[in-house]
Amino acid sequence: MQIEVKNLSFTYSKDSKNLSNKALDDINLTINEGDFFGIIGQTGSGKTTFVQHLNGLIRLQKNSGEIKIGDFDLSDKKCDFKALRSKVGMVFQYPEHQLFAETVFEDVAFGLKNFQPNLCDIEIAQRVEDALFMVGLDFNKIKDKSPFELSGGQKRRVAIAGVIVTRPEVLVLDEPAAGLDPIGKRDFIELLHRLHRTFVKTIIIVSHDMNLVSENCNRAGIFSKGKLIEVGTPKEIFANVEKIKALGLDLPTTAKLMHELKSKGVNIDCDLTVQGFIHAITGRGAK
Amino acid sequence: MKDVSFGQYYPTKSFVHNLDARIKILLTIAYIVAVFLVGQFQFMGFLLCLIFVILATAFAKVPFFRVLKSIKGILFVIVLSAILQLFFNQDGALIFEWSFIKIYDKGLLMAGFIIARITLVVLGASLLTLTTSPVEIADGIESLLYPLKWIKFPVHEFALIMSIALRFIPTLLEETDRIIKAQKARGADFESGNIFKKAKALIPILIPLLICSFRRADELADAMDARCYSGSKNRTKYKKMRLSWRDLVGSLVVALLIFGIVQFNVTGFLAVVL
Amino acid sequence: MSLINLENVSFSYDKRINAVSNVTLSVEQGQYVAIIGHNGSGKSTLAKLFNGLVLPDSGSLLVDGLDVLNKKHLLEIRKRVGVVFQNPDNQLVASIVEDDVAFGPENLGVNRNEIGERIDFALSSVGMQNFRHSSPTRLSGGQKQRIAIAGVLALKPKILVLDESTAMLDPQGRKDVLDVALKLNKEQKVTVINITHYMDEVVSADKVIVMNKGKIAMSGTPKEIFRQKQKIEEYKLELPLPAIIADKLIEQGVGIKDGVLTERELAEELCRLK
Repeated sequence: MQIEVKNLSFTYSKDSKNLSNKALDDINLTINEGDFFGIIGQTGSGKTTFVQHLNGLIRLQKNSGEIKIGDFDLSDKKCDFKALRSKVGMVFQYPEHQLFAETVFEDVAFGLKNFQPNLCDIEIAQRVEDALFMVGLDFNKIKDKSPFELSGGQKRRVAIAGVIVTRPEVLVLDEPAAGLDPIGKRDFIELLHRLHRTFVKTIIIVSHDMNLVSENCNRAGIFSKGKLIEVGTPKEIFANVEKIKALGLDLPTTAKLMHELKSKGVNIDCDLTVQGFIHAITGRGAK
Repeated sequence: MKDVSFGQYYPTKSFVHNLDARIKILLTIAYIVAVFLVGQFQFMGFLLCLIFVILATAFAKVPFFRVLKSIKGILFVIVLSAILQLFFNQDGALIFEWSFIKIYDKGLLMAGFIIARITLVVLGASLLTLTTSPVEIADGIESLLYPLKWIKFPVHEFALIMSIALRFIPTLLEETDRIIKAQKARGADFESGNIFKKAKALIPILIPLLICSFRRADELADAMDARCYSGSKNRTKYKKMRLSWRDLVGSLVVALLIFGIVQFNVTGFLAVVL
Repeated sequence: MSLINLENVSFSYDKRINAVSNVTLSVEQGQYVAIIGHNGSGKSTLAKLFNGLVLPDSGSLLVDGLDVLNKKHLLEIRKRVGVVFQNPDNQLVASIVEDDVAFGPENLGVNRNEIGERIDFALSSVGMQNFRHSSPTRLSGGQKQRIAIAGVLALKPKILVLDESTAMLDPQGRKDVLDVALKLNKEQKVTVINITHYMDEVVSADKVIVMNKGKIAMSGTPKEIFRQKQKIEEYKLELPLPAIIADKLIEQGVGIKDGVLTERELAEELCRLK
């Protein structure tokens, strides 16, 4: 499913002049099927408002642009948002805060039962098992436990299983790695790639971690004050070092290295992944 | 969810903001009493109250729409009580009839009376919370309740609990919004079905909210301990409350309001003017 | 004498598994110490031990010569050790910035004039003096966290403990908070203990302590710690990214020296080659 956003604007408290606050301002963006798309920007830059439009959690305002996702036209009043949400999964920051059921099984099955009320028990069990397997948890060991007695890392996995259980084609993640330790983060990114290789065709990830974006995303966009000011490959969007700093953002480590080297008169060209950087250095050495 | 106005302090410097919190609380109570003193159908009394609220808002330098917004939250209550009066009050002359709906003139007047009364009470109360920070309100109540210490009532703890509750209202609203969205994204449906189904649909919101609140409370307790909180013993207050000429002026104005209303009730509007 | 002195300290939440087990460590006046370790390694429990939020089951813990196990010392210890926690929303008690900063000194019974001075000092130390009368709910995460630091500074602590205080912040917020901590350490000689997941925050520390399964697994300068790559891996941690890149380059036969930790060092090494 291709995601096409045209002239999207959004204003909070639109009805009152003094309080109104333009959260999104004329956003134009196409995210292709297969993209691993990164979204960066400071707190309050509109990233979260933007991604919450993508599965109808925030509805389009009148005459404020259009969004098309596959066959879904979100500006159409008749748009089936429930069907859309089963195709566009959404993982929030601290997803473990949404857990509520008595058992892990019930919690993971919640979304599935909502979206596909006619599914038989055997099929539900199968899908829950698949989802838990996907996030690296042992179905038989964990299914009858209370989600609240799990460790922090396990809770987060269960919560993510509860989102991917419907096998969404698009997965939107809003700052999903916050609070994870280094290994937790590494495992989590591996999970994203595993999903991307199977049923999740498009991943959209909002992150403050520039290394995560440069290392994993094929394309990315920068939000600032409600506007989408850059779109392109990580190499393209991080090209203007001064601009990135002025926006209060950070650079990926590889971009910092390139910048340092450049200031010493050594020009290196790479795609900002660690592997790419190493190739560029060793390639130079061989010359 | 982001534009919840009631209970939100509107920080600025003004005559009303500078009033002593204790006086402001007492004056608000007096004002509410005044609104209730307005005799049946003495709409002139309400007009007086409305003028008072508008003047107070102007002197508070609070945009009037902020005050008006407070009604939004209880619009349902206002409309419901008005409708009840309109349809079920059968005093006076019949002025409208359509199949089973019968509206009487007294019912209509009563509906208007109730709308005016609730609206004015809410406007006044929200003016208090708009011009007085939660800490000031809590301090004010603590100070007003001080005599209760004598009967071993935990006045300080009570006031602290209140101010913390006020502080966390916006935070918890945001949290609720986030949880609702997270469950909606998982296909939860809060709109359709009968009342039992709707109540059941709330569980995926209430449980996470409850758990979250407990965690917050735990962390907050640690943070307070870490900042040397140890009850009211030997505690000082940075913001001391002092009465000033403003408080006298404010009290006089409210006294005048009550006097005016009582006069209206007794003699009617013309008698006061003439 | 050391400012903080732990000797064979153990602590357990459930009396079965030790969250902190047999820890011996000391922190000197003016040091900048980083504590790292994977989730559940016991590092946050250490923060709570430092200011007596939890008390050792066994062993001895002295802060500035005061014994935490002596109840009379608890307040004095909390005055000396200010802890800032992870979630800024859960540690601000008041709805106005200055009232929140005043909370600590009020608890200590400091007189009004001095509280005012302390608010000035604390807010300007974190660069938030322009927000004195603002409501914290309208601030960004990084700004809230700086207010939380100010709230702790108002206690005039000798030690500032950041317990994953940057985990929830965006890059700008994180940088601001770290700059404040570094400035306090350099200019006001406040001892800083930073408990963190971010390996790049560790690089500038005087001393690094690695926690694993409730025990101190390693301790030394950043260079000494990150030199032991196998152990870092074993304790479920990671080298800072520049060090990882340097390692890969060395593997590929690029002749740079071992042990670089920052982008700058690596860039310099690479230039030396050419």
